[in-house]
Amino acid sequence: MINGPVLETIATLDDIAKIRQFLRERATLLELDPSKIYDLLLAVTELVTNTLLYGYPEKTGWIEITIRRENNQLITRIRDRAIPFDPTLAPSPDTSRPLNQRPLGGMGIHLVRQMVDTFGYQRLPQGGNEVTLGIEIKEEAIQRHQEG
Amino acid sequence: MQIEIENIQGKTPVTVMALTGELDASNFESVIAKARQLYTAGTRHILLDLSALQFMSSAGLVALHSMVLIMQGKEPHDTSSGWNAFHAMEADSESGSQPYVKIVNPQPKVASTLQKTGMDQFFPVFSERGAALASY
Repeated sequence: MINGPVLETIATLDDIAKIRQFLRERATLLELDPSKIYDLLLAVTELVTNTLLYGYPEKTGWIEITIRRENNQLITRIRDRAIPFDPTLAPSPDTSRPLNQRPLGGMGIHLVRQMVDTFGYQRLPQGGNEVTLGIEIKEEAIQRHQEG
Repeated sequence: MQIEIENIQGKTPVTVMALTGELDASNFESVIAKARQLYTAGTRHILLDLSALQFMSSAGLVALHSMVLIMQGKEPHDTSSGWNAFHAMEADSESGSQPYVKIVNPQPKVASTLQKTGMDQFFPVFSERGAALASY
């Protein structure tokens, strides 16, 4: 179900393409730089994939995505009701260390970190996880928005 | 996502596999399955044409890496093994490029994903199909 800036669904892996389409349309409307729209799609794809594969036993579950402009950033919030997991704590691959000395995880989250400017997490009081991604919007787009 | 196959006979027979659309965790196993079919049919070298692939997530990287193992007659890592598969990919990327699976014309953002993950060190990447085919 899509309601303006909010998409809410019981998602399977097959639904991630629809989530990308929703984000693509909303991010375009909110004037995110086209080169950064792909980055947003990749980051959300990685996070939602991880949630479905590892957070829900049946690889399907409730996902809510909200996308909005906040000052000079496009903020995307991903909520779920999955088992607790803070992706911001997952270590990035340390390519300076021998492979057998590297901690586990994860190429997907490594990509997320490179795609966004801010990456935050909180456990929801009612249960579930909330991840917040921020991507800066170009100055020209901000000015156009302010001029209405 | 669509997969189109073209067999090129030459000094070294090469199968061109063109991917169209988006490659993610919902369909990456179909790429692996196709590679298995090709290996059974005799293919030992693949040229991946990514010119029409508009999106690729890390699941796509697992598929690409699995293809290399399949072309060597090896069993790919269990796709459900998560980080173990990625560790194997990282180890292989450190060993330099391999001759079994090469890439031609990835779209810029897909190429960027290969670079950001070090996979461009493992997969030879070409901008022109003729040069790619001649390299086998």
